[in-house]
Amino acid sequence: MAVKIDSDKCGHIENCPVQGLCIKLCEQGAIIEEDGDVKIVPENCDDCDLCIQNCPNQAISKA
Amino acid sequence: MFNVERSGNEVRKLSYKDDKCLGCGICTDVCPTSSLRLGPTVPIARGLIEMDLVSCNADSCVLCGLCSVACPFDALSLTIDGEEIKQMANYPKWDVESKVCEGDCIYCGRCYNVCPRDAIIFERTLPDRQALVRGEIEINQDECIYCSFCADLCPAEAITVNNIPTSSVDKLNNSIEVDTSKCVYCGVCKRVCPQNAIKEVCSTCMLQDQIEVPEVTGDTYILDESCVNCTWCANICPVDAITVTKPFDGSLEVIENEEEEKICKGDACHACQDVCPCNAVTIVDNKAVTDLEFCNLCGACVTACPQNIRVVSRTAMKLDNINSDSWNEILKTLLVGK
Repeated sequence: MAVKIDSDKCGHIENCPVQGLCIKLCEQGAIIEEDGDVKIVPENCDDCDLCIQNCPNQAISKA
Repeated sequence: MFNVERSGNEVRKLSYKDDKCLGCGICTDVCPTSSLRLGPTVPIARGLIEMDLVSCNADSCVLCGLCSVACPFDALSLTIDGEEIKQMANYPKWDVESKVCEGDCIYCGRCYNVCPRDAIIFERTLPDRQALVRGEIEINQDECIYCSFCADLCPAEAITVNNIPTSSVDKLNNSIEVDTSKCVYCGVCKRVCPQNAIKEVCSTCMLQDQIEVPEVTGDTYILDESCVNCTWCANICPVDAITVTKPFDGSLEVIENEEEEKICKGDACHACQDVCPCNAVTIVDNKAVTDLEFCNLCGACVTACPQNIRVVSRTAMKLDNINSDSWNEILKTLLVGK
């Protein structure tokens, strides 16, 4: 099912208070950095929702 | 760490110490003005963000002190004119304690090693090894060829051999010495010596009735300010020398809901394990398992779980002397749990 990122709310690493907290939190490699931005790798997502719960911008939701 | 201070008829000051805070959220639950806020506990526990677990809106805080009284871990304190309210006769008090009975402790140090909060101060003095053994050892320097077999094999590292010439003048200046404060008369040196140059006699067994074993002395102490009453120490103590009173009685359950896809994601998440101050959570077969023996029912894992499937139920608490009806009304909500 994976997750989706609201591009308007997302800090896109550079403006994220923790410079990509979701990338650092996800140990499944389902959220990665690509070209300086956040990218979701749906096949790696385990639906743990840790990223949804902890995104400082509330930019992540269920896909 | 934060302080909120205001002066009027009296000076009131609320102090928060982050190093004592477990991120359980009890204070934020009871705050009547919703001035306290719990930070992102999982990123903080994983070291991804450096910030206090709890923050306070100083503009809306009325400095009532209810949070400081509700916190079972003493992370918050309110003083009125310099006096801590928890020390005042009319205010509620937690009757929790972890202590070591000095007379029963045998100084094995297992509590010190197992404590998840480094809350135990432990030191001991063991008797000299020499006091426990009897024997004799002698090396015949005329026979010794300084091969160093004995020194290399000696389990007590009691033998020193100098067999490399330091100059052409004293190239025969070899030496071998036994440190009898280390030797336990095990006989390994004698058996390995190719020259039969070592005489060794162990009389420890023969004289065992005469060898008095000196007492192990020490000191084991639990620091109140770091202890979270998890009972690991009491549980592992082989002589039942430690007593721990937990702040709450009750249980903690994981209630999964397959239909709504609310299920524990185990190794993929382990948020509960990361925030647990008691080291009570283990991931077994990709599911979080909480050992209630060690859980202090603080509820930090409940807030941290992104699936929202952890439920703590508290049936009793060790908070006594609640004299205000309105405070009692709020404080008893801790028992319902979350």
